[in-house]
Amino acid sequence: MVFAAAHSILLGEEHSDMSFVERCVYVAREAIEEAGIADNEAQTLLVLSTTKGDNLDLWTPALQIAQALGCTHRPIVVSNACTSGVCAQITAARLLATGPYKYAVVIGCDILTDFIRSGFEALKALSPEPCRPFDSDRQGLNLGEATACLIMARGEEAAGHWVYEAGSIHNDANHITGPSRTGEGSYRCLRDVLPTEIADLACLSLHGTGTPYNDEMESIAVHRAGLDSVPVVSLKGYYGHTLGAAGLLETIVTMRHLDSGLIPAAKGYQHQGTTYALNISAERRTTDKRHFIKLLSGFGGVNAAVRWRKQ
Amino acid sequence: MDSLKQQLKLQIIAALNLEGMQPEDIQDDAPLFGEGLGLDSIDALELIVLLEREYGIRLKDAKEGKPVFQSVAVMADYITTHRTK
Amino acid sequence: MKQIHHILILPDRVVVDDQPVTITTQGADIVTELYRRYMNDYPKFFKMDLLSRLGLVAADILLQTEGAERGAERDDRAVVIVNRHASLNNDRAYEATIQPDNYFPSPSLFVYTLPNVVAGEIAIRNHYLGETACYIAAQEDVEPLIASTFNEHTTSVIGGWLDVTDEKEFIAKLSIWTH
Repeated sequence: MVFAAAHSILLGEEHSDMSFVERCVYVAREAIEEAGIADNEAQTLLVLSTTKGDNLDLWTPALQIAQALGCTHRPIVVSNACTSGVCAQITAARLLATGPYKYAVVIGCDILTDFIRSGFEALKALSPEPCRPFDSDRQGLNLGEATACLIMARGEEAAGHWVYEAGSIHNDANHITGPSRTGEGSYRCLRDVLPTEIADLACLSLHGTGTPYNDEMESIAVHRAGLDSVPVVSLKGYYGHTLGAAGLLETIVTMRHLDSGLIPAAKGYQHQGTTYALNISAERRTTDKRHFIKLLSGFGGVNAAVRWRKQ
Repeated sequence: MDSLKQQLKLQIIAALNLEGMQPEDIQDDAPLFGEGLGLDSIDALELIVLLEREYGIRLKDAKEGKPVFQSVAVMADYITTHRTK
Repeated sequence: MKQIHHILILPDRVVVDDQPVTITTQGADIVTELYRRYMNDYPKFFKMDLLSRLGLVAADILLQTEGAERGAERDDRAVVIVNRHASLNNDRAYEATIQPDNYFPSPSLFVYTLPNVVAGEIAIRNHYLGETACYIAAQEDVEPLIASTFNEHTTSVIGGWLDVTDEKEFIAKLSIWTH
């Protein structure tokens, strides 16, 4: 089985003095130390999740990070738009299952440049106020910045750890920027990663960007998958949309809350703003359940989901 | 007015990469979206940039653009009234 | 895993299943020449960046070579793109629209500043609801990455190495892969 051995997060612009590579190396070293795998570089694969890398170069920084960490295997960069951070988990799990690796250092990072900011502005996707995912008054997304690292490991014994259970990627085959009106790809991803008993799900950690179309699409996908009753985790109200980091950041934050039996409050949410009602709350809630699903969607029509289970 | 419409058609064809299309293929009153030229949401945003770049007209979002982008004739009217360059 | 059909497109050469294809142009014009000869029914092609045009045309020629019925939705075939330069060529074009003295960010260029969009374009053209993925990786890792895509849902893959340095230097080396 593949499980999460450790994780680490570096948030926001308080680290703006650090370069792309420095941020990635920093979170990786923290997580590697926590996992206690410092002397296993030869068995460790670097999987980097990013959309724009270091000033539009994705490959050179991956080589530099691998070298700094002493990983001798060739790194893999996953660049699947805003779903990259979930796709990177899926890629790591697949390669761990078949490859010569025992560990995967999975890092998500994007730096919020004028390039990215101007583009989302040109797409009229930005909210003039703090974003309000799934709310009836939502006006768009906020961009955010984070670096997040998840160490995934292959092993027989994973007591006390989060175990990777399933992953799925589907395209909407509809439009490169417009979310599917039927939630096709997200629905198919959810369907593929469901546990045997839906009642075992502690929560669905959704994409919830705060744009009118994305959040509506997700509510349709959740409804079609029969998951209306499952509590929703919506984190962009706290961190904004962190692009290539989002899948890892939001997976890790969901794990950390569930480790304490908590479902975080949906910041910015007040009133139902989607056709189908979601089980979402502006209050923090508690749970003793052990499964969660992380769902994302992105440009290029791509959708991705993973399910993790606490052992 | 006719020269503005002609110029606008050329600008639309260039900005939206409407390959093989000539100004005379776009009728003044024909709808630009929907069946018309097969334009989509990204094209609408590109038309917003075109209005700002060429005529100094700033539209807030695609919603504000919708009534303006009905046809070349409507766009030309709007430009005549609102242009700042 | 085996390749059932393969195509190579270079700025001066096109080869399909080891048979050279006669071309009359060079550089990025080759891609348009191939579009006119093999597709010519998809005006959206002209709205795309070179990476997407190259990938879309290469995929279409492969699918015509395969000869299977097309047009119906399917989710058993994945699209997997691997390259070195991500979307850099188009990123530069978008950057030119955000210069301080000439600042008109182009939404239609921005949407192609992601290297996975070509996989989405191939999926849209062919109604593929299966997996689409893009990796920036070493060319030696193309086959392991494609092999790792197969599972109980995905029984074939169209994809491979698809890299655009600029208008003069590019390569499409794509295949249809089955178990």
